[in-house]
Amino acid sequence: MGGCTLTGALSVACFIPGAVTVVHAPKGCAHQTFSMLHALMNEAETRIVPEILVSGLSDKDVIFGGEDCLRQALDRAAEKKPELIIVVTSCVPETIGDDCLAVCREHPYAERTLYIPTSGFLGGSAKDGENAALIGLSALAEPADPVPGTVGIIGEKNLESEVEENFAEVQRLLDLLGLTVSVRFCRNAAVSDLRKLGTVSCFILRDGRCADAGRELGRRFSRPVVGGFPRGLSGSVSFLQETGKACGLSAEKIESAVLQETKYQKKMLERFANLAGSRVCLGAEPFEGTLTAAREALACLDMTESPNGINVRLPFYLPVGVSGTVKMLYLWRRAILHG
Amino acid sequence: MRQIALYGKGGIGKSTTSANLSAAFSEMGLDVMQIGCDPKHDSTRMLMHGRWIPTVLEQMYDHKEIRSEDIIYQGFGNIRCVEAGGPEPGIGCAGRGIIATFQLLEKMQALYGDVVVYDVLGDVVCGGFAMPMRDGYAQEVYLVTSGELMSLYAANNICKAIARISERSSAKCRLGGVICNAKNMDNEQGLVEEFAKRIGSKLVCFIPRSNSVRAAEVNRMTVIEHDPASNQAKVYRDCAKIILENTDLRIPTPLALEELEELAREYL
Repeated sequence: MGGCTLTGALSVACFIPGAVTVVHAPKGCAHQTFSMLHALMNEAETRIVPEILVSGLSDKDVIFGGEDCLRQALDRAAEKKPELIIVVTSCVPETIGDDCLAVCREHPYAERTLYIPTSGFLGGSAKDGENAALIGLSALAEPADPVPGTVGIIGEKNLESEVEENFAEVQRLLDLLGLTVSVRFCRNAAVSDLRKLGTVSCFILRDGRCADAGRELGRRFSRPVVGGFPRGLSGSVSFLQETGKACGLSAEKIESAVLQETKYQKKMLERFANLAGSRVCLGAEPFEGTLTAAREALACLDMTESPNGINVRLPFYLPVGVSGTVKMLYLWRRAILHG
Repeated sequence: MRQIALYGKGGIGKSTTSANLSAAFSEMGLDVMQIGCDPKHDSTRMLMHGRWIPTVLEQMYDHKEIRSEDIIYQGFGNIRCVEAGGPEPGIGCAGRGIIATFQLLEKMQALYGDVVVYDVLGDVVCGGFAMPMRDGYAQEVYLVTSGELMSLYAANNICKAIARISERSSAKCRLGGVICNAKNMDNEQGLVEEFAKRIGSKLVCFIPRSNSVRAAEVNRMTVIEHDPASNQAKVYRDCAKIILENTDLRIPTPLALEELEELAREYL
């Protein structure tokens, strides 16, 4: 199931403090979409209440055109005097041909209004909605000279439960390289922060899901793009090498970071030395790449994989860097030692 | 109750034909209703002596509680006239408007009488315009066409819609025949007759071009009302009689575009 473009776009737009998102759709579309977002946010213990307004397209609007309905929703949004109004659409206005861009441009709040054509099922899947939102929101930033030593994180999965832990792991690795994150695009970043996007020296994508946005941002701002967060142990080392190179760091600096990381990983693995010799049977792979990261950890700890081994679970999300691997190893140890 | 739909290319004369047929049915003492299914809402104007009656869609959204007298207006010969209406050109969804109109008429139990004539926008551009053919509304479709290729092309497309809808087990819609509303082209009657034959139907009526139509229209009347003794009025009366007596309803076999073009070349 690919989900709806609207859901994807909202999963990005809802995480911009100070912004109001106008959903130009029937009330039901917004309700369904937001119910799902709300459930996932609860699961991830995310404590935000995004400002969302729905235009509430009715049968009458479908027949006679929904542009007035959008205009009125923009009026209501503008009364709140937000820093930004983001307009996203369901399939209905796209099917009946509402000229949403023109309505946004003609509105008195046009300078602070951004239209993201998402068009529900017509525009593809939730992934396409995320990419459309990231690309659309990048229009807030002007191309600028890069500030050395800064990176921008693109397309964090705002609805996954370990988003902050994963970010912390990436930040730990970036610290080794002496790099700082100047913008999380878009994760609880104010509109003023989003405008800094053009100043970073490199973009780091969460993963291949936002590759379309990565390509567009890289082209628009002429910056290198790192394709994803590190996967597992060796992935952390290659992440350091790739990111260091992308940011123009010296070979010595990168080598020093890799050395520190290797020591860190060795120390971490010592904590699980009591798993050596265990035979395990790995569960089904929820996402491609998890099995590779798991087998790498098995090999490092002298464990073996066997169909008759103790059943251990693979994590639902891909283990990001060392912290993701540690979490997976804790799960395994509980299963191996305590059943 | 006979439910008859007239389909054809825009500007071919569906409304003129529909209104004159309704007038002829009414002269026969039948209880007639005519429903214009076109956003330009001019189907019943000649029956209403030039009056633009409020459309169903206007009324539906202007009144909380809509009554039958808000949307059904009596015209010439006590014909009950309804206009679906629709959005301004270029916005909204006219097809959805047709569906909403039918839902309302159904809810109000307004579809009754001896004959209901549906006058439907030319090309079946979306499912909404096929609505009169679905759900047991119009059981007989008459294609209005001239001998012009584009007019035949539109008629052929409507055949595709009828054929598709007829595949459903619950469908009652069939093609009643072809009405040629002539443009005074050479070999026109022969061409349309042959077209009708090739799609598995027949020419039910040939309506010659006549100044009496123009004269009636500028006087805001049907030919039947304005010039009842004219030859043209007789043509419409004959056509109405043939339709009433017609029991030969078929599922059409639309032509391939190449065959249609070849046919048009043959009759040049």
